[in-house]
Amino acid sequence: MTTLIDEVAALLAAAAGEETVATWRRDRKGVLTGWCRLSSADSLEAIGRAIASIQGRLSMVTAYLTEKAREKGGREIAYHFDLDGATLTLTVPLPLEGAQVPSLTPIFRNCDWHERELMELYEIQVVGHPDPRRLFLADSVPDAPFERLIPYSTFTNGAAGKALWEKVLAAKEKP
Amino acid sequence: MTSVIELGPHQLALEEPMYFRVKLEGDRVAGLDVQPGQVHRGMEHLVMRRNLYQNITLLERLCSLCSNSHPSTFCSAIEEVAGVAIPERAEYLRAVADEIKRIASHLFCCAVQANLIGQTALFRRAMEVREIMQRSKEAIYGNRMDLAANCIGGVRYDLTPDAAMYLARQMEAMKAPLDELYLQFQNNPAIMARTAGVGVLPRLEAIECAVVGPVARACGIDYDVRKKSPYGAYDRLEFSTSLQQAGDVRARNLVRLAEARQSVSLIEQCLAGLVPGPLCADLLPEIPAGEAVAKSEAPRGELVYYLRTDGTDFPLRLKWRVPSYMNWDALKVMLHGEPVANIPLIVNSIDPCIACTDR
Amino acid sequence: MQDQVKETPAEPVRLFRINTGSCNGCDVELAVTAAVDEFDVEQLGCRYTEEPHEADILLITGPLTVRARNEALRLYAEAPETKVTVAVGVCPVSGGVFRDSYAVDGPVQRYLPVDLNVPGCPPRPQALLAGIAQARDLWRARSKGVDAVFAAPPLAKPADEPAQQFPIRGRMSFDPKACVDCRMCRHVCAAGAIHFDIKGDKGDRHLRSQSPGSPEGVRLTLWHNSCVFCGLCSHYCPTGALSVTGDWHLAHRGGQTFRFSEQGEVPYTPCSGCGSPLIAVAPELLHAAFRRPTPEIEHIKTLCPACRQQLSIGAVRR
Repeated sequence: MTTLIDEVAALLAAAAGEETVATWRRDRKGVLTGWCRLSSADSLEAIGRAIASIQGRLSMVTAYLTEKAREKGGREIAYHFDLDGATLTLTVPLPLEGAQVPSLTPIFRNCDWHERELMELYEIQVVGHPDPRRLFLADSVPDAPFERLIPYSTFTNGAAGKALWEKVLAAKEKP
Repeated sequence: MTSVIELGPHQLALEEPMYFRVKLEGDRVAGLDVQPGQVHRGMEHLVMRRNLYQNITLLERLCSLCSNSHPSTFCSAIEEVAGVAIPERAEYLRAVADEIKRIASHLFCCAVQANLIGQTALFRRAMEVREIMQRSKEAIYGNRMDLAANCIGGVRYDLTPDAAMYLARQMEAMKAPLDELYLQFQNNPAIMARTAGVGVLPRLEAIECAVVGPVARACGIDYDVRKKSPYGAYDRLEFSTSLQQAGDVRARNLVRLAEARQSVSLIEQCLAGLVPGPLCADLLPEIPAGEAVAKSEAPRGELVYYLRTDGTDFPLRLKWRVPSYMNWDALKVMLHGEPVANIPLIVNSIDPCIACTDR
Repeated sequence: MQDQVKETPAEPVRLFRINTGSCNGCDVELAVTAAVDEFDVEQLGCRYTEEPHEADILLITGPLTVRARNEALRLYAEAPETKVTVAVGVCPVSGGVFRDSYAVDGPVQRYLPVDLNVPGCPPRPQALLAGIAQARDLWRARSKGVDAVFAAPPLAKPADEPAQQFPIRGRMSFDPKACVDCRMCRHVCAAGAIHFDIKGDKGDRHLRSQSPGSPEGVRLTLWHNSCVFCGLCSHYCPTGALSVTGDWHLAHRGGQTFRFSEQGEVPYTPCSGCGSPLIAVAPELLHAAFRRPTPEIEHIKTLCPACRQQLSIGAVRR
């Protein structure tokens, strides 16, 4: 297992410079999870190719708004890779406005849906995606429903629940 | 001659709504566009507006066929963030719940497969055998689909000695029918004629598509999260990964039936190892700011959860990737060159879960 | 009931399923009513059809997602006028755990009338059969034009029930006597099925009250049509005020959807020091905390927080 840690350290340094370091946690069952923050999305493709070269498998892509996104103006994407049972998470910081990442679909075929999904849920542009259509969202749903900085319509603000409860309570009043 | 057809849930013989746009050359499949979203309930958004406790129940309703895998893996992620080790008894009880669900899920898939190749008697037989599991679930957990077995820090059900004996008897009753079903899917000439060499996914393309679960193991890919990244009780349970090499519809069904039979053994091992002790580590543990990845082997394969917390009991982000999400793409390979008539069978052979995929 | 078996018409009543975005729990259980002898809808004189235009009974599952809506409404419109619409599970009528999502457009009553609801998450096949039997009777009555006088027959309990060793998770029940108003139940309820309000907050002045104008008690309302029967409220309830019953005989007419609730009131009692209203400590909580309370504890429990503070530290410090 230490060989895996060394191997990943070498490829991260080669692809993104010496300052790119993963820290590893080993859980009670001995399963490794590695965590690595990149300074920007610039080295993402190089790291992606390096991970593919050691038979790493893209496992999941998580886009999210960070804590206090409005003040700090931050969002991140976490790319999770499987390395034969160990999970390596690469976190890429992105600006709130005009966020762009290169598509990893040319490197990992299964990144296709992950990227299509994050494009429809967040205001992030995936540059070079071969098929950037909507995936899960109905046409009538506005773009980027996960951008919590934009106020929701009353429809998604618990309005439906409130209206139903008024009926339930009213029904109790009249026997 | 090239043409394009649209197929919906009725043409695809799916229990759930899903749409395909299929390109044909003559009567053979030449291309495929999968169009999900009918069951998209915005769940990854809902979980951020519900607290961690509410999300246990919400996630159990992601999909009822693998319903226990979601809360158990989600709770593992919380426990990892909180640094909580669940009691040994709870580890066994989580494994029991997961394996019970696996047997019922695999049997449902194999029943549907039998129905699609016109084996009505076998279809009804598989559903009858599955009823043993359904009755067991209702007797132990109070519901036939959603077990409500998990809580943060452990489980919220116990097996009394009586209940454990009942479950052991039910497991005994599963053995012969599961063996018999395996032999049918393995050797029955009528079934082989429809499933062997059909919907083939070659091993290299399986790796490229990054498929998981029985779909991967049917192509000879030796990957099972219970082995690769042991969690809960699985580091103490004896089992081997079920593998097939042919990568066809038949191989996928055989992997599932072998796994269902193996799950019976896993449940028996859990019952034998069920040490006395608490069910839950801490009823209301402190959940600090942090992040964690938790994985499990759901009935359809590798399930991954990523949780990010900020010290409140609302998740800042909770993301998960279900096994079906990884397997749709491989249908392009499996269906290529197949006649239109084989589409429903091949699609159902990946045991696709649409509620899981769409969230 | 046995007399009617012979009257079953040769033409079966046809059932058609519409999945509007469900977790597939109800759908898989409906599949059981087509595939497993014990639960086969044939015993009710029904059969499933794949053709919406010949549907006598529509079985609707799921919370009605935005994306599934048009297709669901198209199928609904294609079924004949006399159709009976059954909402299966709680999702169609209340959204259940999926309520208030940007992707959910339910409840279905916004778009179409629901004749019958079969709660459950999912309902067990016995409950589905009981609901389908009611829908069948309703359809027969409606076909004869006697909808208005139709009354749902009381549900007979299946014969196998006494033999059942373990309780199933059915309707929840609330015991206000054990409630301490901690509201943990509401906190953990994913389905928003529990509502708290203060009784006597406005109006209701005719009821006896210690000091006029003060609230009389806390009221909990449990809406069975939103509840998903997970029992998490009862798991986290410190006093057992919420409990799971084995009652799964829950099918009811669509018009009763908002009446299908249970309410309990936890009265305020006056503080023995200053008279301000407080929630009495339930014996269940006292027992859980102290096992055997001392007279001092028995006294403290009748005091409001301010009077308790005064008792222990002498005066309220500001």
